[in-house]
Amino acid sequence: MTTNLPAIYSFPPLYTCQPNALIREQQLTVWCEIIVEFAKKERVWCITAEGTPAKDGGDKQSVFRNDVIQRSVKSTFIEEIWHKMIETEKALRIDSDSNYFILWRSLDSWSALILQWFESSGKLNQVITLYELIEGDETLGCEFHGMDSMLMEKCLLRLRERGRASLLKDQNKVMGVKVV
Amino acid sequence: MGQRGSKIEVTKADRAILQLKISKDEIHKYARRTESLIASEDLQLRNIIKADPKASNKNPRARLLLKKIHYQRRLLEQASDQLINLENMVATVEFKLVEQQFIIGLRQGNEILTKLNKEFTGVDDLMDQVQDQIAYQDEIDQVLSSSIVGSYEDELERELKQLDREVNGSVKQSEMPSVEGPTKQPEMPSVEGLPEPQPEREEPAVEEERPHEAPLLA
Repeated sequence: MTTNLPAIYSFPPLYTCQPNALIREQQLTVWCEIIVEFAKKERVWCITAEGTPAKDGGDKQSVFRNDVIQRSVKSTFIEEIWHKMIETEKALRIDSDSNYFILWRSLDSWSALILQWFESSGKLNQVITLYELIEGDETLGCEFHGMDSMLMEKCLLRLRERGRASLLKDQNKVMGVKVV
Repeated sequence: MGQRGSKIEVTKADRAILQLKISKDEIHKYARRTESLIASEDLQLRNIIKADPKASNKNPRARLLLKKIHYQRRLLEQASDQLINLENMVATVEFKLVEQQFIIGLRQGNEILTKLNKEFTGVDDLMDQVQDQIAYQDEIDQVLSSSIVGSYEDELERELKQLDREVNGSVKQSEMPSVEGPTKQPEMPSVEGLPEPQPEREEPAVEEERPHEAPLLA
């Protein structure tokens, strides 16, 4: 994990909440960057409050713990980091299970990317399932391939707000989308 | 979260396609699952063979695994066939939708055409009437123009003749004396030349003759 992250990840004072307000602000910013970087490199869409990727079970290590330098972030400080993440719109809290979506692109940026895919691959005015968008063979090279379905739904809702998409439900669950 | 409020229309066909695609996705998911299963079983089999290279032929577990792998492979093939079928189905439905649009367009065009043609039903009568009216108009024109031309021309002719008579007639009367008067006068000297020996007497006589001559010539 450490190999993919900036060098400051191995800097022990980063793991202790700094008393000086200015320095702490800087520290929080660095943490935000690290989390975003971590999520982007590992293609992790959803992270638990403790900092472990939500999907791959418990075997993955928390981003807030660095075994190499034997440091970890205290839970109160973790909360502060999450607060900062949400404030800067780098993360989105999931109401159902108190996990966080990490947005290394903003929702608008994602929805624009998805729209672009629809336009460039000639899928306009067709019904496309969410599964096709996320797991389908046609989106294999796309950055949003493998995206968390709930996050995808949020992106598509943005498109709907712009009047470009219509969501289709099946058994009260959003299953497909039609983009024009 | 309701998708009802959105402006884009979701038709029945869209819903049907959605259902088709959902089943397609299910098969796709199944295929992936099976693929990973086969991969893991294959790995297990290889491990068994590696661990016990001599007895592997008789090892029931190895046989079982191989059978399972074969079975899964067959299923996978069937699944991919079904996947293709579903995809074809989706494509066909989508094409049919386009065809439907085509038919709708054709029907609308036909409707308009028949509606327009209906307005042409009385066209023969109308054309006949128009022809009649035009012919009648020509007739009127001819009648009018000929009658105008005839009477007018005659009148003109008459007036012109009258004018001519008036003008030419008066001209002759008025011009004659003025033209002939002077021509006669040159002759006068010759006439006067004869009675030169007695000019004192003759002259008054010539002057007396002139007034006589003029009325005679006229």
